[in-house]
Amino acid sequence: MAPHISAFTLTVVILLGGVPFAAADDASLGKDLKATIALQGMTCDQLVESKRNGDSDYTASCKDGNRYHIYVNAQGRVIVQKL
Amino acid sequence: MHRLAIAGFLLVLSVSGCAWMKGTATSEGRRDAQVPVAPNSAPQTTPPPASTPPTPVATPPSPASTLPTEAGSSTDNGSERSSTPAKTSDAAPPPPPPTPPVNPASRSSSAKARSSGDTRPAKVAGAATAETRQSGSSPAPPSASSPAPAPASTPNAPPTLNLADLEQRLRETRAIGVFTKLSLKNQVDDLLNAFRELYRGPDKHPSAELRQRYDLLLLKVLTLLQDGDPPLASAISSSREAIWSILADPDKFAKI
Repeated sequence: MAPHISAFTLTVVILLGGVPFAAADDASLGKDLKATIALQGMTCDQLVESKRNGDSDYTASCKDGNRYHIYVNAQGRVIVQKL
Repeated sequence: MHRLAIAGFLLVLSVSGCAWMKGTATSEGRRDAQVPVAPNSAPQTTPPPASTPPTPVATPPSPASTLPTEAGSSTDNGSERSSTPAKTSDAAPPPPPPTPPVNPASRSSSAKARSSGDTRPAKVAGAATAETRQSGSSPAPPSASSPAPAPASTPNAPPTLNLADLEQRLRETRAIGVFTKLSLKNQVDDLLNAFRELYRGPDKHPSAELRQRYDLLLLKVLTLLQDGDPPLASAISSSREAIWSILADPDKFAKI
């Protein structure tokens, strides 16, 4: 029984240890998208949701209701389109 | 005993996991030697406020005074640097003799040398100049006995500029995300294209609109960096006029 408990505990610890990594990734992505929106001169008070559509392609929803399509076009330019 | 060992292992694992999460956004090492710039590129210093309380020891350190220096700390971590006590210009090592300006070719060679992992001892000298600038911007305690304090903030060495170093540090900083970096790069390229268009024409003098675009772009960069990578923000801010002097000079611009 003891080895089972240890393995279970180890799994839980590892999974819990991964949560901050995932949260940090989400936070940094949200910060990145929000800064990108601001750099294009558009408003986003707080990013509440971001959905990945593909490589370098996201849809961001802001708390103020604005939604943006953020992607990198074929010429390598970051495009922010208001939806 | 076996459970105790497992518990100890898990504890170590958790602690190491938490330690791993400490951000080292600015842990990139400083790069190659500094290049002096034109003397007209004055540092962005602000005069000390007159209303500063005269007991700086008892007051908590201001953000400007706690700005770390490379000479004082071996790490580049901003969180660790903020705890480093600020040094005054008296404590700074004497600035090195100014080196002659290098052309872009030598700049690129220094960038190549940077990738080979050189130790770059001249960087400390650059830190000393930056430190001097920082100490100049820190509030000086006014005293009744010396109503007119001597301008100790006057930098002895010329401000330094290394475009390759700044570019590399901008590329490597973790204070700015990938999308943001790419977006900034687009805007930098747009500005450079505007200068190229200008220098193709008869009038080689940059307009005020170009200067405004440049200032705005630099402001964006500084805004993005000031929290996540204060040393880099400071370096870019102090290089503002030097970079503009390159952009505004068609000959220097052509060598970029």
